[in-house]
Amino acid sequence: MNDTRYSGVAGLMHEEPLLFERAHKAATSISLPGVEGDTPAALAGFARKQAAGIPGLSEPEAVRHFVRLSQWNHGIETGFYPLGSCTMKYNPRVHENLVRLPGLAHLHPDQPEATAQGALALLFELQEWLGEIAGLPHVTLQPAAGAHGELTGIMMIRAYHEARGDTKRRIVLVPDSAHGTNPASAALAGLATVEIKSGADGRIDLDELKAHLSDEVAAVMLTNPNTAGAFESEIVEICRLVHEAGGLVYGDGANLNALVGVARPGDMGIDCLHINVHKTFSTPHGGGGPGAGPVAVNEALAPFLPMPRIEKSGDHYHIVHEAANSIGPVFGSVGQVGVLLRAAAYIAAFGREHLHKIATDAVLNANYVLARLKDAYHVPFPGLCKHECLLTDEIQNHHGIKTLDIAKRLIDLGFHPMTVYFPLIVHGAMLIEPTETESKATLDHFCDAMLEIARDCEAGNVEALHEAPLMPVRRRLDETQAARKPVLVWQD
Amino acid sequence: MRFLPHTDADRSAMLQTIGVKSAAELFADIPAQLHIKEGSLNLATALHEAGIVRKFTAAADANRHAGNTRCFLGGGTYHHFVPAVVDYVISRGEFLTAYTPYQPEISQGTLQTLFEFQTMVARLLNMDVANASMYDAATAVAEAALMARRITRRHRTVVATSVNPRYRAVTRNYLSWLDGEEIEVPCTGFATDLEALIAAIDDNTASVIVQYPDFYGSVYDLAPLREACDRHGALMVVSFGDVSAFGLIEAPGSFGADIVCGSGQALGIPMGFGGPHIGLFACRQKHVRQMPGRVCGMTEDADGRRGFVLTLSTREQHIRREKATSNICSNQGLMCTANATYMTLLGDAGLATVAQRSAAALAQLVAGLPAHVTAAGGARYNETVLSFESNAVRDRFLKLAEERAIFAGIPLEKIDPDASNEHLLVATTEMIEATDIADYLTALEASK
Repeated sequence: MNDTRYSGVAGLMHEEPLLFERAHKAATSISLPGVEGDTPAALAGFARKQAAGIPGLSEPEAVRHFVRLSQWNHGIETGFYPLGSCTMKYNPRVHENLVRLPGLAHLHPDQPEATAQGALALLFELQEWLGEIAGLPHVTLQPAAGAHGELTGIMMIRAYHEARGDTKRRIVLVPDSAHGTNPASAALAGLATVEIKSGADGRIDLDELKAHLSDEVAAVMLTNPNTAGAFESEIVEICRLVHEAGGLVYGDGANLNALVGVARPGDMGIDCLHINVHKTFSTPHGGGGPGAGPVAVNEALAPFLPMPRIEKSGDHYHIVHEAANSIGPVFGSVGQVGVLLRAAAYIAAFGREHLHKIATDAVLNANYVLARLKDAYHVPFPGLCKHECLLTDEIQNHHGIKTLDIAKRLIDLGFHPMTVYFPLIVHGAMLIEPTETESKATLDHFCDAMLEIARDCEAGNVEALHEAPLMPVRRRLDETQAARKPVLVWQD
Repeated sequence: MRFLPHTDADRSAMLQTIGVKSAAELFADIPAQLHIKEGSLNLATALHEAGIVRKFTAAADANRHAGNTRCFLGGGTYHHFVPAVVDYVISRGEFLTAYTPYQPEISQGTLQTLFEFQTMVARLLNMDVANASMYDAATAVAEAALMARRITRRHRTVVATSVNPRYRAVTRNYLSWLDGEEIEVPCTGFATDLEALIAAIDDNTASVIVQYPDFYGSVYDLAPLREACDRHGALMVVSFGDVSAFGLIEAPGSFGADIVCGSGQALGIPMGFGGPHIGLFACRQKHVRQMPGRVCGMTEDADGRRGFVLTLSTREQHIRREKATSNICSNQGLMCTANATYMTLLGDAGLATVAQRSAAALAQLVAGLPAHVTAAGGARYNETVLSFESNAVRDRFLKLAEERAIFAGIPLEKIDPDASNEHLLVATTEMIEATDIADYLTALEASK
């Protein structure tokens, strides 16, 4: 398995036990500050009777434990991460320094406003920038993630209809290509989801949409470009039709990387958009979070924005907690400030002159990958794509190979797999999103690997595909067993 | 542009491979009237890295913060000590820049850490299982209310007003879109009124939500609440603001709580002006399939070696769509790593020391209060309410304290719109030294 053409080779990797399998120490390794004094007598009756059982390692042991674990991970700093609809791009290192400046890291959310004007100014500016980029000028920074932004937006849309006395709008139309969070968010806001079938080109079918529009439709939730990587070219007409029927258009901003600085959702007629700053604006994914999902809206929805918001009067910035028609808060503070500040730094680096280059290079990269792979893999919706391209395993199926095998083989060749089995509108989906921060050399390397896999399938040379992955610290894991008898905590 | 690797020659070659003449052709599917003119957006002009550092440093320098003041602020966010190792671990690119561990073979680092995190959280709260995080305490409480509705198939939620008003407001908001009712039971004397709360439980009640220690720092016996919940078949939900308490006082799980949720910010996460923090969420094993959020489980690989995967995903939005237990997708992953590292460094003994010193600092402060200020009585962990004779005296004190680089407390009405304006919510941690308490008391004396 020592194939040096690709980078997926095993190095000096260590097995690392669980913390709980190490000797339990009574002592702490940390010398702590604080006052020496007795536990208050009033608390005596509430004293914890049995220690929790938290191991407590010395500092050198703890560092080695977590460093070894870190080495079992793939990250964007380690290698290419072509996850469709996830926008895994380089996370600038300087951002880590910025958010650790004591004057930003050690602010209390309820310290006097006058003592936090610097932070409020940065956040206010970000609100303005996001509104400008979205073409929807009113912004809340509160939502903690994309799905949280969806929920916030749908709550606002529902509040908007109800404020007009239009109370029977309880349906949200969602294309069958949508992210799973869309219907889940609508349900949390108490609305029913009706799925609309995509047309033959993977785009929204106007006739299908018209057939579903009625005076019970609160909103259409759509992603543009859609999850097949295609721009909804009829977007203006779609929005017009929805508005004509009295509904609003919710934009899932997960794919904003294709459009940023090139075209604005607000100009298309979209009323409300969440922005995944951990995608488009490069804040680190952290192994699953934290993200942030600011929501930008037009004038009609502005009165319903959640509180608190940051406002400016004269030279002074305020956190405003009350507004007559606000849906109320959706989060315990103004937002995931550390995440938002990183996004502000990314936008600041591009500025008005260069912001569109995010989209132009992202789209260039996706089309380049598509051009190189389109003969070897089935392309369900031919033509140019936007920031991601969609392939399927249809050709490889003839050789008994499916998407999962291709994904796992990529690991051995040194790449994180693409998004697999999503969107659901095609069988065996492989959704590839390279982002703007990858070089041509990396893309070529990845395409070479994909083409080699395709050739191996053609040649019937499929053993490595079935067995993959062989390189990482673990091979394929038994997910069925994990779900059938869930073991979620360690028992000594 | 330093984040964009292509040369113009690369771009030309790639366009040729694609078979188009210009990058503009790649955007031809976007109707012409939607294209915006390059450089026309009302944004700042681009900054080089040094310029960004200068801008952010200037903004940071304009702020006062817990590093150059003495911070007695709490209300759900606390200035505890964060060991350098925590920050080092979460700065490692393999943790920081990894995606959600959907490909477990190359995500075992994140997954094993999550498993350790879940185990330590469950142990600290004395619960059966914990999930791999919620956004924050407020949304965790809201999700707990929803989970209790699913389990009991009842639609009435009872909340004590001694639960942090922000947790209540978010919960009220989440519940307001669904059928059912939310009842808020008032408290007296800045403590939880268990009797009134128990009286509000009926046979239609899905859950009773309390905070322990409550929003005002009060610690109380949850056993009567457990009995009352049992009588009516309601679930007992216990929230918390400063999880460090459970290094010292009995954990919520020891009182038989069904769901325990709150903030994990105290475990190695800086205050950060309100985020990112983390929502901890734990429940009983029998309810695990109704739990929101991601969860990591133990299993084996094809060679029979122990490994970890995200599991129970049939509860989640990407499988179950509108029938999912929650819409949550991205969570606070990296903050789990911070919590896990912190707890590993401190261990039981360190956690006990942090809690003991946090509580002792408050006790010393209260013991030294001058006559014109009273503190809410009874058992308090590291937080209480100081009451002044008037708003004028309180604000005079706040000003005096600020001049002496002390963030002396949160005006209660700022978080709780129902509170009058002569109270101050005051919190202490192990970061408060004896001299800080002395300076605080001197300022109080001077405010008379």
